[in-house]
Amino acid sequence: MTQRTRTWLLLAPAGTWFLVMLIIPLTVVFIFSFGERAPSGGVVLAFSFEQYANLPARWAAFKNTMTLAPIGTLSALLIAYPLAYFLAVKANPKWKTILLVLVIVPFWTSILIRSYAWIFLLGGRGIPALLEWVGIEGLRLINTPFAVLIGIIYGYLPLMVFPIYVSLDKLDKRLLEASSDLGAKPWKTFLQITLPLSIPGIATGCMLVFILLMGEYLIPALLGGGKVFFVGNALVDLFLQSRNWAYGSAVAVTLVVVMLITVTIYMRLISRLGASREDVSIM
Amino acid sequence: MTKKTIDHISKKEFMEKLESYRKGSITRRHFLNVTGLGAAAAVMGASVPGLRPQPAFAGDIGDRVVLATWPNYHDPANFDAFTEATGAHVQVNVFGSNEEMLAKLQAGATGWDVYVPTNYTFEDYVKEDLIEPLDTSLLPNFDASAFDARYAEAGSVNGKLYGVPKNWGSTGMAVNTKHNGGNAISSWREFFDITMDKFSGRTIVHDYQLTTIGSALNAFGYSFNSVDEKELADAEKLLIDVKPHLFAITSDYQPGMRNGDAWLTICWSGDGKQLNTDMPEIAYVLGKEGGEIWSDYWAIPKSSERKAAAYALINFMLDPSVNAKEVLAHGYPTADSRTYDQLPDDLKSDPIIFPAQELLSPLEFGAAVTLTDPNRAELMARFKSA
Amino acid sequence: MRLYAICVYLFLYIPIGVIALFSFNAGRHASQLQGFSTKWYGKALSNPFVMDALETSLIVAFCSALCASVFGTMAAVALQGIRGPVRAAFDMLIYVAVMIPGIVIGIATLIGLVTVFDQLNPLIAAIWPNGFEPPKLRMGIGSLIAAHTMFLMALVVIIVRARLAGMDRALTEASSDLYATPMGTFRQVTLPMIFPAILAGFLLSFTFSFDDFIIAFFVAGSETTLPIYVFSSIRRGVTPEINAIGTMVMGVSLFLLISAQLLLQRGGKKSR
Repeated sequence: MTQRTRTWLLLAPAGTWFLVMLIIPLTVVFIFSFGERAPSGGVVLAFSFEQYANLPARWAAFKNTMTLAPIGTLSALLIAYPLAYFLAVKANPKWKTILLVLVIVPFWTSILIRSYAWIFLLGGRGIPALLEWVGIEGLRLINTPFAVLIGIIYGYLPLMVFPIYVSLDKLDKRLLEASSDLGAKPWKTFLQITLPLSIPGIATGCMLVFILLMGEYLIPALLGGGKVFFVGNALVDLFLQSRNWAYGSAVAVTLVVVMLITVTIYMRLISRLGASREDVSIM
Repeated sequence: MTKKTIDHISKKEFMEKLESYRKGSITRRHFLNVTGLGAAAAVMGASVPGLRPQPAFAGDIGDRVVLATWPNYHDPANFDAFTEATGAHVQVNVFGSNEEMLAKLQAGATGWDVYVPTNYTFEDYVKEDLIEPLDTSLLPNFDASAFDARYAEAGSVNGKLYGVPKNWGSTGMAVNTKHNGGNAISSWREFFDITMDKFSGRTIVHDYQLTTIGSALNAFGYSFNSVDEKELADAEKLLIDVKPHLFAITSDYQPGMRNGDAWLTICWSGDGKQLNTDMPEIAYVLGKEGGEIWSDYWAIPKSSERKAAAYALINFMLDPSVNAKEVLAHGYPTADSRTYDQLPDDLKSDPIIFPAQELLSPLEFGAAVTLTDPNRAELMARFKSA
Repeated sequence: MRLYAICVYLFLYIPIGVIALFSFNAGRHASQLQGFSTKWYGKALSNPFVMDALETSLIVAFCSALCASVFGTMAAVALQGIRGPVRAAFDMLIYVAVMIPGIVIGIATLIGLVTVFDQLNPLIAAIWPNGFEPPKLRMGIGSLIAAHTMFLMALVVIIVRARLAGMDRALTEASSDLYATPMGTFRQVTLPMIFPAILAGFLLSFTFSFDDFIIAFFVAGSETTLPIYVFSSIRRGVTPEINAIGTMVMGVSLFLLISAQLLLQRGGKKSR
C-alpha cells in the first residue's frame, strides 16, 4: 500500500461524513434560503431574494444576540479571570486539583438542568422574595435580559475559567518572583507579565463562549419568558412553529455569515495582540 | 408493519395471518396487532372491570402510549389507572399550540400515538394526510348520540370520523383581582389598557398566534378570525406597543399566576377554573367584545406505531366515569351528556365551566384559515422578536 | 482573593444545591418545600420514559463518541502527513464544523436529511423485492448519532492534531529508519503518544453528546433523549422529579470526574 492510498483510506470516513452531514445539509439550507414558503408550510424552490429582503423583521433578534453575546462573554471573563488566577497562582497545591474539578463539574452537567435552577431562584418566590424581606420590593428578575445574562454567565463560566487557568498555570512562577524582587509593584507585574502571558487562554475562552452564545436557544427560552429573543429562538420558531423553512434558512445563513465575519475579525485582532505580546516577552 | 393495522382486514388476509401465526413466522403480538384482536382485547380488558389487570392483554397493547397534549389538561390519576389496567405507561408531551403540533407532525415521525387537536385543525390534518380515520368499533365507549353536535361536528371531515370530542371551552382572561382593588376586568380593550398601565410587567399572553392575535383583534371589535390586512395591522401595532409591558409570552401561564409574578393572562377556561379553585382572588372572565369558543378532540396521528394502545387510551378516557374525573381535575366542560350526568351539581352550575348561553353567543369558533394564514404566523413571529 | 473564590464557588453551587434540596421535597410543586421524601427518586427510576431516555442518551453518546474518536484520529494522522488542497479543504471543513452554532447544525441536518430521504425513499421502495416492506429512511437515533459524530469528529481532529504537532518527529523517522512498517510505527510509537489525546477527545465527545439538547431537538425524530425529556417536563410544569433526575446526573458526573482525576494522578505518580 502506498503512502497515497493509505492517506486516502484514512481520510475517507471523515471526508464522507463531512460530505453527507455537513456539506449537503448546508447546501440545502443555502438553496432553500432562496425559496418561498409553501402554502401549508415547508418550502417551494425558487430563486428569489424575498427572504433576505425580509430579514429586518428579525432585526431585534439579531440585535439581542449581538449585544447579549459580547456582554455575556465579557462578564464571564471578568468573573472567571480572578478565579483562574487564584487557582493557578495562589491556591494551595494540595487543594488545587479538587478545586479545579469543582469548577468543571457544573460544566459536565446539562446546561438545561442548571438553567432550570434559575427559573426558581429568579422567580417571585426566590431572590426577589429574599430582597423583599430586607426591604427592596417589587423587583422583577425572571423574564428580563438580566435573568438571561445571569443564566449565560452561570452556564459558561467553567468554559471560561479552564483555558485561562491552563495558560496561567504554564506561567513560570519564577518570572513573577523575579519581577517582585526587582521591585515591581504587584499590579505592574500583573499588567506586564501575567496578563500578556494569559492572552491565549483569554482568547480561547472568549471564543468558545462567544460561539456558543451566538447560537443560544435554551437560556433565553427558559429565563427570558419568550420576551428576550435570540436568533436561536427565532430559528426554532420558524422551523417548529410557523413552518417557514425558506425564511428560516435565510436567517440561518445570515447567522452563520455574521458569525464567520465576527470570529475572523476577532482572530485577526487576537493575532495582532499576540504579536505585540511576543514583543513584550522579548523585551 | 403497523402501517395499515387494525381496521379493515379482509377475511382472506386474516386467515393468512392466522396461518403464519400458527407456523410461528410472526409473533403473537404482531398477529394480534394486525388483526385488530389486540386492540379489541385490550379495549375490553380496560373497560370491563372484571377483565381488568390481565397481563396478557397488557402485553398486547405494548408497555407504553405517547400522548401529545396541552398543559394542565388531565387528571394524572387517570393515567395511573390506565397503566394499572393495561400495563401501558402514558408519556405526556406538552405543547403550547396547535401550530406547534402541526409543525412537528409535518416535519416527520413524532412517536405520538394520541393527540388532542382543536376543531379548526382537522381540515389541514386530513389534507396533509397526517391523521388516522377512527374505527368506532374499537371505541366501544364512544356513543355519538351522547355528544352535543356543536362540539362534535368538526371531528368529521367529508363524512369520515377523525376525532372524538374531548372537551370544549372558551378563551378568556384570568385576572388576580387583589391587585385591581378587588375588581375583575370585563373586556379585551381593558385587558390591553391595564397592561400598559398599572399591570405593567404583570401580564402574560399566549405563545400562540391564534389566541394572542385574536384577543388583540377583539380589542378593536374585529373578528377573532380576521385575516384582513388592515385589521391585522391594527392588532400588530397594539401588540408591539404592549410588549414591553408583558411579563411573558407563554402558553404555560399557571406557574406565573400561581406564584404571584403575573396578575393577568389570556386564559383557557379550565385553567381559569383551576386557578380560581386554588386562589379565589383570581377571576376568569370572558371579554365582552367576544373571543374564542373551541372544542378539542381525541385523535390518532397516521404515524403512530402503537395504534392498539392509542385506541385503548382513547376508549379508556371516553368512559363517562373516567371522563367525569377529568372534568373535575381540569375544569373544562364536556360535550358528553353521559359524563355531564355524573358531575356533581355545583359543577354543573359553575359559571366558569358552563357559562350562561348569552355569554357564549358572542364567541366564535376558530377557523381553519386562521390557523394557517401565513400573515398571522409572520405577525406573531415579528411580535415575538420585536 | 480567597473570599472572591469562595463567592464564585457559592455562585456555582447554590443553584445546584437548590435543585438537590427540592428533589427531596415531599410536595408536588417544585417551589414550596413540604417535608422530606425520597419518593421522587423512586418515581424517576421507575418511570420507563426516563429510563428509556437515559438509555437513548447513553447509546447516542457512546456511539457518536466512538465513531468520532476513531474517524477523527484517522483523519488527524493522515492530515499530519500531507499538504496542499486536500489538507486545506479538510482544515476548512473542520473550522466550519466547529464554528457553526449547534442550532444551525440541527436545522441543516433536519431539512437536509428530510429532503434527501424524500428523494431516496421512493427509490428504495421501487427497487425493493416485492412482498417485503421496504425500509423507510427517517429521522431517529441514526440521524442523531450521525449529526453528533460530524461535529465531534472535528473536535477530535483538533485535539489529536495538537498532540501530534507536539510530538517529536525524530521518533517516527527513527522507527521507519529501523525498517518498522508504517503500521508498526503507528502502533508502537505514534499511538501510545497520542492515546491520552484520543481518550480526552472521547470523553469530551461523550459529554457533549450526552448533554446536547438543541441538535437532538431537531434531529432526533421520535426518539427522546434525556435532555429532551427534561425540557418537555419543564414545560409541563416543574415537579421534584426533574430535580431528582438532575441531582442523579450531577452525582454520577461528580463521581466519574473525581475518580478519573484520582486514577490519572495515581498513574502520573507511577510513571514518575
